Amino acid sequence: MSEEIKTTTEEFSVLNLYPKEYEAEENEAFFRDLNLTQIIDRITAQWGKGVRKYYMYLPDDAREGEYRRAVYGDIRKEAVYDALIAFTKRQEDIAQLRGKRGNTSHPLQKAVWELCEEEAYGDAYEELAKSLSRVELSSAGMRQFLRILTEFLGSEQFNKFREQARVILGELRKMRFVVTYEKDRMSIELREEQGDGEYEEWLDSFDARADMRLLNPFGEDSAITELEQACLEIIESKKKKLFRALWSVAEQERNYINPVLSRFEQEVIFYLSYATLQRDTEREGFPFATPDTSGKGRMEAGGLYDLALALVSIPEGRKVIPNDFYYGEGDRFFVLTGPNQGGKTTFARSLGQLVYLTRMGLDVPAESASVPYFPKIQTHFSVEESVETGRGKLMEELVRLAPMMEDHKRGSFVVINELFTTAANYDAQIMGKRVLEHFLELGCMGIYVTHIKELAEGRDGVVSLRAMLNDSGYQTFEIRRAEAEDVACAANQVNKYRLTYDQLKERL
Amino acid sequence: MKVCLLYEDRERADAEPYYDTKSIVQDLGLNTLFLASAKELTYENGELKKLEAADPYLIETLGNIMMVPLASQEEIRFRQDVVADSLKAPDMVRGLYRISTDTLNRWNELGRGIRARLRQGSPVTKLTTEIRVLHLLCDALAEIRGLMEQQENLSSRGFLAFREEFYRAFSKEREEIVRKILADISFYTDGLDQKDEGRDQLVRPRIVFECGLEDGLKLGSLKLREVSSQSTKFLRRGSTREKIQKFLESHIPDSFSVVEDERIREQTQTLEYGVVSYLVKRLKWFQDEFQTFFDQLKLQSAFYLSAVQMVQQIKRLGMGWCYPEVCDRRDLEFEELKEVVMGIEQRVNVIGNTCSLPDKDLLIVTGANQGGKSTFLRSIGIAQVMMQCGLPVTAKSFKSGIFPRIFVHFTRREDSEMNSGRLDEELNRMNGIVEHIGDGSLILLNESFATTTEKEGSVIAYDIIRALKEAGVRILTVTHLLSFAKRVYEESKDRPEAGVEFLSAERLPDGRRTYRMIRGEPELTSFGLDLYDQIVGKARIK
Repeated sequence: MSEEIKTTTEEFSVLNLYPKEYEAEENEAFFRDLNLTQIIDRITAQWGKGVRKYYMYLPDDAREGEYRRAVYGDIRKEAVYDALIAFTKRQEDIAQLRGKRGNTSHPLQKAVWELCEEEAYGDAYEELAKSLSRVELSSAGMRQFLRILTEFLGSEQFNKFREQARVILGELRKMRFVVTYEKDRMSIELREEQGDGEYEEWLDSFDARADMRLLNPFGEDSAITELEQACLEIIESKKKKLFRALWSVAEQERNYINPVLSRFEQEVIFYLSYATLQRDTEREGFPFATPDTSGKGRMEAGGLYDLALALVSIPEGRKVIPNDFYYGEGDRFFVLTGPNQGGKTTFARSLGQLVYLTRMGLDVPAESASVPYFPKIQTHFSVEESVETGRGKLMEELVRLAPMMEDHKRGSFVVINELFTTAANYDAQIMGKRVLEHFLELGCMGIYVTHIKELAEGRDGVVSLRAMLNDSGYQTFEIRRAEAEDVACAANQVNKYRLTYDQLKERL
Repeated sequence: MKVCLLYEDRERADAEPYYDTKSIVQDLGLNTLFLASAKELTYENGELKKLEAADPYLIETLGNIMMVPLASQEEIRFRQDVVADSLKAPDMVRGLYRISTDTLNRWNELGRGIRARLRQGSPVTKLTTEIRVLHLLCDALAEIRGLMEQQENLSSRGFLAFREEFYRAFSKEREEIVRKILADISFYTDGLDQKDEGRDQLVRPRIVFECGLEDGLKLGSLKLREVSSQSTKFLRRGSTREKIQKFLESHIPDSFSVVEDERIREQTQTLEYGVVSYLVKRLKWFQDEFQTFFDQLKLQSAFYLSAVQMVQQIKRLGMGWCYPEVCDRRDLEFEELKEVVMGIEQRVNVIGNTCSLPDKDLLIVTGANQGGKSTFLRSIGIAQVMMQCGLPVTAKSFKSGIFPRIFVHFTRREDSEMNSGRLDEELNRMNGIVEHIGDGSLILLNESFATTTEKEGSVIAYDIIRALKEAGVRILTVTHLLSFAKRVYEESKDRPEAGVEFLSAERLPDGRRTYRMIRGEPELTSFGLDLYDQIVGKARIK
């Protein structure tokens, strides 16, 4: 996507081709079914609730996805990532200053916080611009952002405020005075230059530990105490000009914040949060790949794993088994069968995550991947053990299924996990076949996890996959193209709990 | 600072205690020794005045330290030298123990440790307590310095290094610094326990600092220029002199009163608190230096005080003593070794044994009942443990190797009925021991496996002892299992390289026992018949 997107400055968004209003709502079932919620929760825990909404909506179309993919590519560059992380850290400082400004009713203190905020804001953006201009940016989004930023930093309004803040803060910060407290009185004497503290130096002479300096003896509270106010009044009488300037700031309306930049501050967190997760996960030995979206309808991946599972397995040191797959020419649906606890659901989820993350313009948890454009992602997972009767559950499943099969959901990627488990086997087989046929007719692609091996048999566009066991009957969590077969579950369970004769002999 | 009187380079053992110390203490009867060493003997005109009650801390400490072996000849020599100095200067050792104990007691009263954290004191209370602790430490340290300065004859590396390190850690210069700061902030605690009435002096602070404005227009980045406490004449409130002084002070330019406004008065107190607590914090190096010093000094001086009192007891009983020497692990040699616990318990000088066992790793003692076999075995065990913690032993000379792992496996005589439960218990204990066998192991077996038949017991003992011996364990065993002893004897009698020695309790032709062990072939009788005759026979006559 080398073509530059021309939007006006006001319309710039780093996430979308045109600015979009986000409402934080989780309305699609696939977030929970694919365990995306777990991933997003983890990101939210680190980055705050504000970023959540960006994960909740797929981009409008393929073009917007590619716009993001290009931006994400830039942000994955070490120098850009570091600059943006530093930038967000500074944003936190600014937010803190803003909070302090809001909390005080002391007009001069308010004015000083405002000046500090302007200073920090200017510094943060100037630093960011400097770092970004040293990097070869390749995405349209980031290039336009840098252009807008440079323009802002050069504007007269911004520089006027900034200079004023610099002068006033400079003078306030360099001021020193001596306070003498004795005989129930405190007296103040201004000093032109920083003097020494004899007592302090004596203390340092036998123990130089700067970390335990006495910095603020009037309490941690940021409010100005009456004692300090009394000092300030004496200082004000000595520094009339400086305090007049401060009073004028207090009375002025200063609006230096640029709304386009503010939008960027918010939106860029989407990329940063995922890039951070990716870096952390990569460090634990899990690969990520930028999906190839150019291939016509080709859908395949190598070393694909369930990202949500990887995130919970890392602290426990558990292994996660990656899998390879491909949809060949004319292949539309995988029907996946195999033993319980064999990794079927995990594999199905990882496919769904692959499509979602590709759509979002992000990198995917795999060694390599090629993913076509799917307008929609649809999932149907059986609700876990409910108290409902068999009939109630079937009903509930069908109610959820119906809207997925509407005509406008053409071309979706569909993940189905165990449909109709409560229905009679014969019925379930028939219904399952119909569902599969319906999705095939709608031109969807996807995966269907089931116990019904007949579903995997002899149909155009359907490929049979199986979760594999090793020679001793243990789960390997490998998913391969193989004929569906009936599984001896009981022996497997016995084996799993190490209750065979030989095992018991060994244990006892 | 580190005390380093137990180890030259550290406060704590880095070795593990012996395995199953409870059994070692019980089977060797060490509690008697701990108890005796915890009592002070005071003499007046050469006569024993009275026996002080035992100090439970000394009992506990000696027990703990004795159960952790030293690792090398070097470490043993180090402690022996400190013991020798302690015997030369018992008053110094007693003084160190007393000062550290008293200081810790008072420190605890002020709320040290867990109690301080639990106590709901205000910050001000906590700060004044901290200041009191500083005074307490300073005074105690000055007393220790006085004590150390009196010592002229110290020659052990331990005490010399301790004194040198102490002089560094609490140099006169450092003491001056601490005392000056305490004097400067005395306004904070002075008069705390006094009422205003009847005072003619008032101690008030003078605090001068340079500072700047922080970004929030608050005073910040302070640098103290002066902190001092000034004694002024106490003026009654509302008196003419007070009014005149107030008037004069109010004319100081660019100043304001800190007492007229209630809030400003409180904030000034916060400032005082801040400055004082800051200065106390700046004495953290001093607190850190002596944070655990008194605990360690109490602990370590307790050990040497016990040693001093132990030697006094030994002397009182007329027993000889010496500093043991370290030699190769396969050798064991001693002259007139006495079982000290028995001596203390029976208040007599007991019979000693002399023995030379070069290049042996299995010693089997058999022979007459009541012939002193177990006593003999215990005397070696006790001496070995005492040697390995740097204490002197009750012998004319004693040479042995260092065994970081000592195990005892004594039959528990108190309920010696023969049943499988008892054998099971014995085997279980042996299993525990075997799990812990390692390099440098010494095991003392006293009538092991006598809880089953002689025949079975012999087989068990033979297999276990053979395996242990092959694993390089040094074994000293007293046994009644004569088939076992015979079998080992037959296998090793013309093979000195087997490293086996047999001793038996001496029995004179007339049946009398000498309580001495002599070399000899194990006999097939343990002369139990003698004993039977002695006891049962007499009963019959009766």
